[in-house]
Amino acid sequence: MQGFALYPFDPPGDIAALRADLRAWLAVNQPQDDVVARANCWASFDADFSRALGTAGYVGMTLPARYGGGDHHPLERYVVIEELLAAGAPVGAHWIADRQTGPLILRYGSEEQRERYLPGIAKGELYACIGLSEPGAGSDLAAVRTTARETAEGWRINGQKIWTTGAHFSQIMLALVRTEEGSERNAGLSQLLIDLDTPGITIRPIIDMAGHHDFNEVFFDDVLVPHGALIGERGQGWKQVTAELGLERSGPERYLSSHALLVALIDAAGSDPDPALATLIGELTAEMWTLRQLSMSTAAKLAAGEDPMVEASVVKELGNAFEQEMPRRVQAIVDCAWADDDDLAKLLRALLIASPSFSLRGGTREVIRGIIARGLGLR
Amino acid sequence: MSAARDLLCDTARAVFAEAATAGIAPVEEAGFGLLLVPEEQGGFGGDWGDANAVLQIAGVLAPDLPVAELIAVETLQPAATVSLMAGAMGQALALSIDHVNTRQQFGRPLGKFQAVQQSLAVMACEVRAVEAAASALATRLDALELDAAVADFEIAAAKLRANRAVGVVTAIAHQVHGAIGFTEEYDLHRVTVPLMRWRGAHGNDAYWAQRLGRQVADLGGRSLWETMTARGA
Repeated sequence: MQGFALYPFDPPGDIAALRADLRAWLAVNQPQDDVVARANCWASFDADFSRALGTAGYVGMTLPARYGGGDHHPLERYVVIEELLAAGAPVGAHWIADRQTGPLILRYGSEEQRERYLPGIAKGELYACIGLSEPGAGSDLAAVRTTARETAEGWRINGQKIWTTGAHFSQIMLALVRTEEGSERNAGLSQLLIDLDTPGITIRPIIDMAGHHDFNEVFFDDVLVPHGALIGERGQGWKQVTAELGLERSGPERYLSSHALLVALIDAAGSDPDPALATLIGELTAEMWTLRQLSMSTAAKLAAGEDPMVEASVVKELGNAFEQEMPRRVQAIVDCAWADDDDLAKLLRALLIASPSFSLRGGTREVIRGIIARGLGLR
Repeated sequence: MSAARDLLCDTARAVFAEAATAGIAPVEEAGFGLLLVPEEQGGFGGDWGDANAVLQIAGVLAPDLPVAELIAVETLQPAATVSLMAGAMGQALALSIDHVNTRQQFGRPLGKFQAVQQSLAVMACEVRAVEAAASALATRLDALELDAAVADFEIAAAKLRANRAVGVVTAIAHQVHGAIGFTEEYDLHRVTVPLMRWRGAHGNDAYWAQRLGRQVADLGGRSLWETMTARGA
């Protein structure tokens, strides 16, 4: 009967100044030519922008200075991320490396791995992809079959990953592979950090329904990587991946990746909107405000070293629903033709087509609801 | 949570349990009308965080008594209603979880069925959202020393979010309970009917959505984000 309360979001330092500096930097450095790139912007690739952002100190913010990082608090990074997303900045190139691969290398990596990879990540120049899904292991991740056998020369990898976002532009993949022969399900798995220019790796594009090349198939044909490619503990891959997914699910990208559409809707509505339009703007604003509170609270809990698995899943579930609802509700009351050329129409079209993926990426709706149900004490 | 608030909540639970049958008198006698009155004026000197906690308990144990009116001035009653709703929704969820873990059909507890699990997960998300809205609103009101006019944005957002959750929460709670939840004897209606009432009280969906929507339209697209961040964290 003691209701759930938000965890206080209390970053150190002058947050107002951090926001103001970043907004001023974006006003000068954010490309303005492509309005559609502002929607779903954590999938928008722009290497020049990522490098400039890294130079300005906004990538790898939480990494230690000795690895080129900014020594910042995770919640300072959170503030920077929400500002970048709200502005629709093209952060797709370095997104995964900055969000999860960098922190994971810092947490589990050897000194050699840290020195080798973290400085490039913090510069916004080293990109990473995540090798989890396989043809036979989608929602059922424990069915992973790609193997890595330890030999005298190193790990020999055979198998296939699929739906690997950014494999075609990334230098490294963090892959979940089966290292223990005869092991089953979530036992016997390990994580390997694989340089994607290693011989025997083939990357093939999969074009999505929007005509974009975001994800790929990645084939491993007797690929030999050094012993030092193992990251963390052998056989503990499942545990490491599960912790990593917590970082993936509750971030502000779960409710801000369609923010450009809300901005365009408000601008198109003008200062005296009709009741239907005012109602829609009000309802979307209320949902966004609530999601922001939940996401900040979850981030604060993560930063404090807790494991808010269920809350992170709640953020993802509600955020996905919000972002899938938004374009169809906008289309339902705003009169605009499919082929119109104004910003609102272009964003609407792009997000209507992108939106089915929102409740698939990072864990399907059904899997996420299952996690929540388990957290409630069902099952 | 502070020790003082824990103590306050313990008292509230005991008093509201009694008030459920005895009426508002025990609540008044226990001094809950003075919760937000400063100590130097002879009150308890509580903040909205305290009010939120007490009202969530009232929303479960004494939803038919005018507790919001006793504790809060008129301009804060929409905010008080959000807290009552958060409490009642938490109770609807607790009753639902308990029921599906206990009630057996087809040889196993209802909670073992994926269809039921998925429904309750949807419900839990709505309840968490409203609890978060109530909690965030409390932080904001306390930062503004209970100035409801300045907190209009957050009051509108929180009350609207709470109103919008009522349909899903009451529907799923009743659905998973089956016929027993529709009886006078069983406790579910003691929170679901008040939730239906509160949705229309102190501003229904249309009222708050248009009020908030006009405020945001007046700001302009990009200013929504600037305003939201300037108003907290």
